Amino acid sequence: MKEMTHTERVAAALNDEKVDRLTTYPIACGVCRRLIGDGKLTYREWCSDPKLFAQAFLEGQKKFGLDLAIGLMDLSVMAGDLGAHVRMDEQNTPFVDEHIIHGMEDYEKLAVPDIKKGRTGVLIEGTKLIADHLKGSVVTSSFIEGPLLALSQTTGAERLFMDMFTDPAPVHKALKVMTQYDSEIVSAFAETGIEAVCWDYLWGNYSVLGDGEYAEFESQYAKKLNQEVLDGGMAVAIHNCADLPHLDTQIKEFKPAIYSMAYYPLIEGSPNASDVIEGGYADDCLVGGQIDPQLFIRGTEEQITEKTKELCQDVKTALCKRGLNSKYCIASGCEVPPDINCRLENISAMVEAVKKYGRMDS
Amino acid sequence: MSKEEILNKLSDSVVNHKIDLAKSAAQEALDTGINPIDAINDGLVRGMNVVGDNYAAHKVYLPQVLVSASCMYAGLNLLLPAIPVEDLKDSKRCATAVVEGDVHDIGKNIVKTMLTAGGYVVTDFGKDIAPEKIANEAEQNKIDCLCLSTLMTPTMDNMKKTLDILKETGYHAKCVVTIGGPPTSPQFASEIGADHRDVNAQDCVRWLKEEWQ
Repeated sequence: MKEMTHTERVAAALNDEKVDRLTTYPIACGVCRRLIGDGKLTYREWCSDPKLFAQAFLEGQKKFGLDLAIGLMDLSVMAGDLGAHVRMDEQNTPFVDEHIIHGMEDYEKLAVPDIKKGRTGVLIEGTKLIADHLKGSVVTSSFIEGPLLALSQTTGAERLFMDMFTDPAPVHKALKVMTQYDSEIVSAFAETGIEAVCWDYLWGNYSVLGDGEYAEFESQYAKKLNQEVLDGGMAVAIHNCADLPHLDTQIKEFKPAIYSMAYYPLIEGSPNASDVIEGGYADDCLVGGQIDPQLFIRGTEEQITEKTKELCQDVKTALCKRGLNSKYCIASGCEVPPDINCRLENISAMVEAVKKYGRMDS
Repeated sequence: MSKEEILNKLSDSVVNHKIDLAKSAAQEALDTGINPIDAINDGLVRGMNVVGDNYAAHKVYLPQVLVSASCMYAGLNLLLPAIPVEDLKDSKRCATAVVEGDVHDIGKNIVKTMLTAGGYVVTDFGKDIAPEKIANEAEQNKIDCLCLSTLMTPTMDNMKKTLDILKETGYHAKCVVTIGGPPTSPQFASEIGADHRDVNAQDCVRWLKEEWQ
């Protein structure tokens, strides 16, 4: 089969049409800042400047030839702009180290910040630049935290989960604010020309919440937001790197175009690529995963090539069994660590392995 | 009220998330002369084990486990100080810590809860703790098992540093070390010289029970 362009391949995979090879997306985002200039750009510099934020994705595309571009910054963007303190590691993922909810009354004090300011503003402006420069050559998506994840980052997960159980009313008030915050971001993304919004709906995870809790504390808000994404002319994508994801809710009920997930071989019941495909979850959704992100730091090129080869073979077998053509993207289970020690050559090795072993005529 | 009824109240308080009942039943146990160790093991811990089993079977989820744990700790706060030091001298001592550079401690706190429910005396060193401090406190507190946790990739190196210090001081010979957290793996545990990589909190307790059998 003639070699397809990135957009042809992804468009075909989204429709389960025949492809030259499987699509691939090592979720290389913050790590691509090292491809800018002398390679010494700090994480703080990268995530504070929309031009640098976007440039990393442009350089990543040039260097690695990925099939998609998903504008993930990190999971502390919204909480930070709400006032939580973010510890900014200069060469790695920043995280919230001081939450702002200390009592039940604090849930009711949350208010949507000005989305044009702070890192939310950088993210939106940077997303527009990604769309301006990459749309047409790859399928582009923005990335943002869902309301429950954003609230847990603001509150602290342990406190939030206990409050959900013991005093849910103030939690719901806060979730409505988070949903409004997300809603404003979606509207802004719709103006950027980006083609999709990828939600991080991490807490749809059976290690954390059952179906009832998830329905009450996220699904009802997520459904509204997913519809707003569609109304804005964008596709819905979902990332959930948890161990036991709520696939029935997040894939069959939410009906995203793309679903990105991880695999935990030591956790009983954690679904691998074959389980997901054979379980019918890829029938109407382009599922992506599940290369272990740690391999990009601790593995060798040979190891990542071998793992990618195995995954391609498993996926092709499962797709064939299910009567599908192309509904799986060979991706990392979570973000390629933006750590200074991450081996960029391993990203190339994964992509090259998909080109070789992901071919559908082999 | 009989001893059995009071122990049942302690257990029920944990299973049914009744923090006031946990405190009142713990006080009742002390007032009626029940050995506090019995009140903990046959009351609070029995209840927490029910919750742990239900969690493993996906009958309850993390919010319920966390609230049950807070009930258990409310009872323990009254009962533990009443135990004569002499009675604890043969108990195995565990410590939990999130290594320096990371503040994500929900997993560590669940391990602490399940170790307590497993009958061990647990000291929580906290989160974002320097390797030198963890190693030093482990030795000072005569810890038999040190459980290290991290959610993040770069901070995994601080697990290695902690192990390196424990090896240098020789205390690793007296203390097993388990590690946990999503980026860790059995291979990484082996590479840094840890004794076990916990899949989850229940796995940590199960492994320790076997190790110390």
